[in-house]
Amino acid sequence: MLSGIRVLELGGHTSAPFCGKLLAQYGAEVVKIEPPGTGDPARSQGPFAGDDPNPEKSLPFLYLNTGKRSITLDIKTATGRSLLRELLKDTDILVENHSPADSEALGLDYGTLARISPGIIAASITPFGLTGPYRDYPATDIGVFAYSGHLYHSGDSDREPLRNALDQSWYIAGANAATAILAALFRRLNSGRGQQVEVSAVECLATHLVQAVPYFNYMGAIKGRRPVRGSGFEELMPARDGYVVPSVQGSQPWSVVSDLIGLEELKDEKFATGSGRIEHGEELRELLVKGLAEWDRMPLFEASGERRLVFGMAQDAGDVFDCPHLEAREFFEQLDHPVAGAALYPGMGPKLSSAFDSENAPAPLLGQHNREILGGRLGVTDVELVSLRASGII
Amino acid sequence: MKNDYMTSDSLPLEGIRVVDLSRVFAMPYVGAHLADMGAEVIKVDTHHAAFVDTTRTLTGPYPDNVPGEDYWNRAGTFQTLNRGKESVTLDLRSERGMELLLDLIGISDIVLENFTPRVTRRFGLDYPHLKSVRPDLVLVSNTGYGHTGPWSDFGAMASALEPTHAAGAFMGYLERDENGRLVSSETPNKIGNSYTDFLACWSAQVAILAALYRRALSGQGVWIDLAMYQTGVSYFGAGLLDFAFNGRRSRRIGNRHEFMSPHGCYPCQGEDSWVVIAARDDEDWRSFCSAIGKPALVADPRFRDQLNRHRHQDSLDELITEWTIDRTQESVVAILNDAGIPAAPVLEAGQLLGDPHLRQRGLFEEVEHPEESGLGKREYLGRGWRLSESNPRIQGPAPDLGRDNEKVLVNLVGIQEEELETLKDNEVIGNRLLPTAAPNVVPLARQKELGWIADFRQDY
Repeated sequence: MLSGIRVLELGGHTSAPFCGKLLAQYGAEVVKIEPPGTGDPARSQGPFAGDDPNPEKSLPFLYLNTGKRSITLDIKTATGRSLLRELLKDTDILVENHSPADSEALGLDYGTLARISPGIIAASITPFGLTGPYRDYPATDIGVFAYSGHLYHSGDSDREPLRNALDQSWYIAGANAATAILAALFRRLNSGRGQQVEVSAVECLATHLVQAVPYFNYMGAIKGRRPVRGSGFEELMPARDGYVVPSVQGSQPWSVVSDLIGLEELKDEKFATGSGRIEHGEELRELLVKGLAEWDRMPLFEASGERRLVFGMAQDAGDVFDCPHLEAREFFEQLDHPVAGAALYPGMGPKLSSAFDSENAPAPLLGQHNREILGGRLGVTDVELVSLRASGII
Repeated sequence: MKNDYMTSDSLPLEGIRVVDLSRVFAMPYVGAHLADMGAEVIKVDTHHAAFVDTTRTLTGPYPDNVPGEDYWNRAGTFQTLNRGKESVTLDLRSERGMELLLDLIGISDIVLENFTPRVTRRFGLDYPHLKSVRPDLVLVSNTGYGHTGPWSDFGAMASALEPTHAAGAFMGYLERDENGRLVSSETPNKIGNSYTDFLACWSAQVAILAALYRRALSGQGVWIDLAMYQTGVSYFGAGLLDFAFNGRRSRRIGNRHEFMSPHGCYPCQGEDSWVVIAARDDEDWRSFCSAIGKPALVADPRFRDQLNRHRHQDSLDELITEWTIDRTQESVVAILNDAGIPAAPVLEAGQLLGDPHLRQRGLFEEVEHPEESGLGKREYLGRGWRLSESNPRIQGPAPDLGRDNEKVLVNLVGIQEEELETLKDNEVIGNRLLPTAAPNVVPLARQKELGWIADFRQDY
């Protein structure tokens, strides 16, 4: 869909790489510029394939960088910067996630970039954005979640707020960056002009609070974390082999729910209405635990779906790989990485009707495409490449 | 104060028409963002209560918890998710209603729908059919599990999907083992707040915009089969590869981190008040010790480097809690941020709305509602990104039910003005919900008792 669109990714860790991965999935040609030697800091982040801390075996890196090419370039050197300038001249999109101060120091501010490449769409992803009093605050994933108002809603109401371990804030920022970039790209078709894109991870997550914010500014109420009391419906509850989410949502009457779980006491009319379930919440919770103890997750989940109920179940990573539904949808794809080896990778979220112009490839080795890109695109000769390598620029 | 990015150019999606048949959270929010970007988004509503978008009626919140007479136009979450759209009511069970819908789709660019595949086919809203109506259509079919595969007819909702797509495998409180040490547990937890809806929302926008770009160049439309389960999994891939390569099924490490230490959420003075702290490296740790007035800790062999701090996190967390628990959230964050250590307050929505940084940047955008709505001026969440030239902005309030019936049906679709009356008489269109039954609102004090809300303030 985006074939012919050239993207430079000058960012490490998660947010800019996830944005680049999405653009690559839609067919853009994404070149990742990594610092020579260490490469993207995600390369030193575990877990590693086979628990071997090799920069080519970082699992977050392998996931976040499929379908891209990698060149190394020390953009702190004059030569490195002039090569970057040459690359920028025929680049449509730049995505980076340095701190605001660092990106200015590196000449990655929009003013400089637009002078080099007038039609460029240049995206900066930062925790707090490029303006405002917190602009230069350092932040980690948990801090972004906290500042955004989102963390307050995660976990149990009688305990501390709880984080998900997989750096979700940077994924959300990366997906929003891809949206903003594509909006600018679409606009460019008419205007002929590029523009600056600015993404704040904190703000991206804050926009999830479509209930909590109006709860406050419509009626002064503060929505909290998941209640630890009440009927247990819509919450994680123990079943025989793990956890499930029983649900009364949807258009089916209570009798369908109580029939499914199968416990005689649940069929009592007093549970048939929403207000009844509130009034008898504690009793209902006990009965629910008793009823669910007779069920394994998968049979309950499938039986619920067949009855047009919307139960969920807690799956782990292994369950997802074994999932017959995802298999039928050909979601996983086999990628063979020259160092880490072959494995099944989760594929694209949305499934598209039209044939795809892009072929997926495993994450690149550090500097794997130096010759192809610097030589092929910029005309740097093999002799010059040797000298650049010797001086540590690539 | 407004942000620096005032629109100085046409909006990106000017001239794009969207038919939004979707309900609840994920897809309506996509429609809202497309409207912010300048698209003309027509919400296909209905005045038959059994089929109306439930955010008009069930989700609330209502101003001061009072639904009011025309409650279906007044809910805050509905307003957030449907701002800037037009509303046309059409009873899709009627032949004429469906004809008019297809006529509208014939002159539109994008359709958003989130019926289950069974209903989609029954209404003839499947891609093969809609493609015959509008060959270059971009259609988003958003479902729990997608249009193919054994679970495709299952309904779904975000809060049940979240654990199903394995988010809970990477989230859980620590528990004490027999020696009193905090260790990983087998109990999953939830990010909550309808998380999966937003994964679908952001993924849909990327797909739609990529599709529009391609369509502009090739003239070809596309069908986006957006399964929320599958989309959810794609955000947790880094954890799933740990199974593919190493056979590990889960990682539930509380608020701790693989290598940063300390890394956690600590209680502050007052009720339900928290701060998060993360030390990225030894330098952060040394700054932390000075900032809390205990420079001697640097020399403590238990904490001398990341590896040792990681091993002694139980004692480390106790020590940090001793320092935070008697201080206000504000003072803890100020002390640590001044020292350059990543620390952040866990903000609740009231604090978020008042946050000076977010206010200065203009995250909240003010909308003026029609006088008769009684909603006045209110602020809504904008978006997490800005464009320097054609920056989106909320274009107006969410529409009253059927507000644009005449405009859409007469001016756009081109029916005779007289037919409007017939459509009203036949209850194909309408402006008042039928039957009308104001939602039962639960008083805030009772909601607090039930644990539905954490607290409430009279003087918000």
